[in-house]
Amino acid sequence: MSESASANAPKPSSSVKLVLLGEAAVGKSSLVLRFVNNDFQENKEPTIGAAFLTQKCSLPTRTIKFEIWDTAGQERFASLAPMYYRNAQAALVVYDVTKPSSLTKAKHWVAELQRQASPGIVIALVGNKLDLTNDGGDVSEAAGAAQGESESAQNGDEGAGEEDEVQDDVSGDARKVSTREATGYAEEEGLLFFETSAKTGTNVVDVFTAIANAIPESSLKTGRGTGAGTGQTSLGNRSAEDSRVNLDDRNAATAKEGCAC
Amino acid sequence: METLSDTTWDVVIVGTGVSQSLLALALSRSGKKVLHMDPNQYYGGSDAAFSLDEAQEWVEKVNKDTDVSPFKDASILKHDASPLEDTSISAKLASSRAYTLSLSPYFLYARSQLMSALVSSKVFRQLEFMAVGSWWIYAPGHPDTKIDELGAEKVLCRVPGNREDVFAASHISMKSKRTLMRLLRRITKPNEDEASNEGDNTSMPLNDYLAAEFSVPEELHNPLLSLSLSQLSQQDTPASYALPRIQRHLSSIGHLGPGFGAVIAKYGGGAELLQAACRASAVGGGVYALDTCLEDCLWRHGSEYSEHRFLLKLANQGSVQAKHLFTSAADTSPKESSTPLVEVARSISVVSATFPSLFPVAVEGAPVPATAVLMFPGDTLGSRKSPPVYLQVHSSDTGECPHQQSVIYCSVALPGPEGQALIESAVDRLIQAEGLPARVLWSLKYTQSGRLGNGEPRRLTVEDEIPDCYHFPPSSLDLAFEDDILDLVKEAWKIVVGDEVDDADFMMFDDREGTSDQ
Repeated sequence: MSESASANAPKPSSSVKLVLLGEAAVGKSSLVLRFVNNDFQENKEPTIGAAFLTQKCSLPTRTIKFEIWDTAGQERFASLAPMYYRNAQAALVVYDVTKPSSLTKAKHWVAELQRQASPGIVIALVGNKLDLTNDGGDVSEAAGAAQGESESAQNGDEGAGEEDEVQDDVSGDARKVSTREATGYAEEEGLLFFETSAKTGTNVVDVFTAIANAIPESSLKTGRGTGAGTGQTSLGNRSAEDSRVNLDDRNAATAKEGCAC
Repeated sequence: METLSDTTWDVVIVGTGVSQSLLALALSRSGKKVLHMDPNQYYGGSDAAFSLDEAQEWVEKVNKDTDVSPFKDASILKHDASPLEDTSISAKLASSRAYTLSLSPYFLYARSQLMSALVSSKVFRQLEFMAVGSWWIYAPGHPDTKIDELGAEKVLCRVPGNREDVFAASHISMKSKRTLMRLLRRITKPNEDEASNEGDNTSMPLNDYLAAEFSVPEELHNPLLSLSLSQLSQQDTPASYALPRIQRHLSSIGHLGPGFGAVIAKYGGGAELLQAACRASAVGGGVYALDTCLEDCLWRHGSEYSEHRFLLKLANQGSVQAKHLFTSAADTSPKESSTPLVEVARSISVVSATFPSLFPVAVEGAPVPATAVLMFPGDTLGSRKSPPVYLQVHSSDTGECPHQQSVIYCSVALPGPEGQALIESAVDRLIQAEGLPARVLWSLKYTQSGRLGNGEPRRLTVEDEIPDCYHFPPSSLDLAFEDDILDLVKEAWKIVVGDEVDDADFMMFDDREGTSDQ
């Protein structure tokens, strides 16, 4: 593939379209702001309209450029989402760990994605506002909450066989959705799962890195493919990368020249 | 902002077709409060793209309410594999969502104003463009057709796209090449010898003009017609229509990169483009409401309403007040149009073949084309007087179908069963030429009414009783985007932003913070 492999040759770069979904005020925009600018705004105004941001995420073998679409503020009309998750390769479905109704809403989004989005879409379920819980301060423990399988032992401890989700212990803990409940749901549905705090930054980058790693290589090569998995035989040199027309080099010229008729 | 009614809107746009969506994009940095809605549950109206299941629903809807949409006589044919046949993976239909089948598979010439607008508005960053490759003419039994050629190439001649191609073409005689070069020179440099153009009569039919003015041999008439994308026969296509479009084709080659002159947006052409425009509008604060019908429109007299004369009653959403209203003929009750609409027969077929011979890389360094344009002249399909059938073959690189399959979009300016028969025969011939085991897995047929570029110029229309309510014309049936669509969008934009905004600011936007590459 690479013709002249010099040591500082740039890694292959792929764009990944990611859509952000979830109930209002769960911190969707704040998560992105933390990821993109490593910043947090207390009492952030609700996002008006929608937002689009890009951020690169460097993996050992390649660079992923996230194109992040935030439906902020328009969920009530439920009209932006279908356009946003069209051809999206990844979705971040966010709920607020202090608000059980937001997990219910998140489950609706997951169901809709599974019904309507590209078959291969990578979905991450994210419980935000971890800083409002007792786990909030301890980064290592919170990080441990991530990613189902290997952590099941710990989750078992935490849940302690108690069906009741609400942890009513120490004062100051606003958690209303237990890690156990959300992990269980995420495992059932095959979702990535994280608990994060956009405020402290806990786990935020990890979410995006995990998504980047979970995007199948084949789907990167063929673009935001749906049909991935059907015909395995490649068309020789005909990959999607060969056929994409790059307008960036010439946009300045084109914009000025316009129609030459 | 709890409901739509709580806002007094500067602009309400009904319908999310290409024109309306481009208007929403144009207004996305204007600071105007824009409500953009669509009676359907999907984006795009008559320019939408569908999965297989969505196409099925669409067909049922089209056949149920015939008077409100530009479509009719829609049907889907599914060809199930018999157990005896080749059941390799490519010969089977994949899952519904593996397909994006577009009602607007239109491409963009590199030199079109719309291309420039997509670049200057930065919307191109959210789109992936694929090259449109070669043009082909169906010419069975052409004397120079080589026996050893493979697949579809046996019966198709590649149309030369530039001078180098003309010289290289083995099926054109030396004499023809000279006349062709003379014609191409004239077309590409129309102003050079203005004086000698005096005698030109470009209102003549294209074939008469080519023969009379340039002695272009008849065998080259169809190839030239195909470059103009005229959907009418040579006799019905005036030279004044064809020549500027042939010029558009030739001057676009190489403009965005070597070896191609047009591009198509991945994932559905126009359908993807309009969604990118809507997304940009949403990012700018535009509010989107699908599944929302405009039930009633009240234009109020009196000075107290001077800023929001419209009271619009929406199904399920209460009423909203607005200053400007833009709709299209297809999205409101259609009134008798002043100019009659044209009806065309169309089909979308999913085929279990990749037609590699149709997608040659024209010159070194050129991108692999994802689309090829095929023209089947009416006489080659056994009907001398009928208009040509155009096929656009889309490879899986367009993201519209799985690997090892293709989508073929067909159009002929002859409605009803007659047109569908021509289309079927064209697709059959292409597939036969490709040889077994290629076959049609799924196809959607329909009749669409709209306007061809050959017709009168498109206009924004105003309803007599209601000033400030503008209608976009019915959808375009052209195979490439015609720039007059953008002219209308600009006109509409100007109505909203007023005279204090410079015309040159139209669609000129900076990258938003955090969205550019650097």
